[in-house]
Amino acid sequence: MNRLAVWSILGLTLTFLIGPFVIIVAAALSAGDSLAFPPQGLSLKWFIRVFEVDSFRASFGVSMFLAVFGTLTALLLGIPASYGMARYQVPGAEAILLIVSSPIIVPGIIVGLALLRYLVIPTGVGIGLALFLAHTALVLPYAVRVVSASMENLRVDMEEAALLLGCTRMGAFVRIVLPNIRGGVLAAFILGFVTSFNQVPVSLFLSGPGLRTLPIDMIAYMEINYDPSVAALSALLAALSIAIIFAAEKFLGFSRYV
Amino acid sequence: MSDFVTLENLTLAYGRTIAVADLNLSIAKGELIALLGPSGCGKTTTMRAIAGLLTPRSGTITIDGRDVTRAAPARREVGLVFQSYALFPHLSVYDNVAFGLRLKRAPDLDATVRAGLKTVGLTDFPNRKPSDLSGGQQQRVALARSLVMQPKVLLLDEPLSNLDARLRLEMRMELQRVQKETGITMVFVTHDQSEAMALADRIVLMRNGAIEQIGTPEQIYTAPHTGFAADFVGFETILPDGKGGGLAWRPSAVTLGAGPHTGTIRGASFAGERREYVLDTALGTVKADTPATEPRRALGDTVQFDLPPDRAVHLAQVD
Repeated sequence: MNRLAVWSILGLTLTFLIGPFVIIVAAALSAGDSLAFPPQGLSLKWFIRVFEVDSFRASFGVSMFLAVFGTLTALLLGIPASYGMARYQVPGAEAILLIVSSPIIVPGIIVGLALLRYLVIPTGVGIGLALFLAHTALVLPYAVRVVSASMENLRVDMEEAALLLGCTRMGAFVRIVLPNIRGGVLAAFILGFVTSFNQVPVSLFLSGPGLRTLPIDMIAYMEINYDPSVAALSALLAALSIAIIFAAEKFLGFSRYV
Repeated sequence: MSDFVTLENLTLAYGRTIAVADLNLSIAKGELIALLGPSGCGKTTTMRAIAGLLTPRSGTITIDGRDVTRAAPARREVGLVFQSYALFPHLSVYDNVAFGLRLKRAPDLDATVRAGLKTVGLTDFPNRKPSDLSGGQQQRVALARSLVMQPKVLLLDEPLSNLDARLRLEMRMELQRVQKETGITMVFVTHDQSEAMALADRIVLMRNGAIEQIGTPEQIYTAPHTGFAADFVGFETILPDGKGGGLAWRPSAVTLGAGPHTGTIRGASFAGERREYVLDTALGTVKADTPATEPRRALGDTVQFDLPPDRAVHLAQVD
């Protein structure tokens, strides 16, 4: 292949990947009143506007809560599960791993609809709890897989050595296993956080008046107000994600775990 | 004193597989014992049971007069140096050695750790991580980590097999020195008979989950009781007597070139000071060697040989 073709493909790919982000940032900097590209004039007013919309503040809180506590809960379930499967001959471990992974295999629309139709409606479970359970389940596959991967090269004789030096089994887990899978746990947390925060299809079915995640709120907002504040908010969220990933890469070597 | 550590009727199993059956063994205080045998003979399993990492199916283990059969590993005062060393990768050399002392809130922690590192000759880099050390250094850290706990028994799993030839000799002397200095009771597991001979006060030769023979290195080397033991220590020509027992000769004990028997040379190899031959004979396979100064015999040659009775060992059991 000649150089021109290589560079063209490379350029197109990068344009396709980065282009939307550039357009959104540009649109957000617009001084005009409607979402448009190229922007009409330059201003930061839509970035300020983002913080003045009450529903954004509320739904940002909901999304943060779900992302943080849903991911923590998933890790609380996922770390022992990974440990169990790494250390003991669990019958049907393959099947369990597959079932645990099902939330990323089954389309979100179906998960959301199923939860609404067969959990929320018949049992009267609050939508908030349903959202929390759904997000926890969605993040669980990442927790189990990423943590499992980091547990694979952790030899069992290290724990046995700790037992002989005076640890209880739990003590050996806390003092030896956890410090050595720390990177994997943090990587799982970041992946889970981002997954939960950006989740749309499942949340769509489980949002209602007064309780919306940020992405759902943004869709709702756009249906009424077609102004650049949504673009500004998207740009801010993208910047947040980029900052988290950069920090993780710098301090942890995040890419080793993903 | 000869029963500082006792194993009585010990049966060990993994699930339905019996690994060690009805084993009895007494170890004296300060003794250096080798558990010797081929892989799968139950030597490592026995060691793990003493450490408490495997609960016996039945039988009793006592250490210093106390029944520890069901005691947790931490409550046995037993140290174990793993074949892989099992150092904690996230902790420095110093913190690895201090790990157990911190758990039991030992007084004089710093002095004890430094003394431990000195015992194994590793005072230069307490702050390094295990991954920055050579295999031999890692093993010394593992040894120090166990020794500072002042265990009643120190167990070592294949302590020399991961080291190269030069380090092996060094570590062997090191272990003997540490044992002499501390007077600690040591049990080490090995599949290498020369290692066991060189280090141990007594050798426990194991086979298929049972003890084949116990004795000093000299006893095992010169007077093996069974065909298996004889073969393990180099009596390579074994003739059953038809009544369960038999006679065995080392290759050097077989006379080549004269004698009442005839054989055909099927294998010949040069081993520096000796030439080693494998003979097909009416009695079965015979292994013989001669000084390398004698002329070389060729494959297919027919030779006379003798199996002198005065140089044979009598075996009680051959199978």
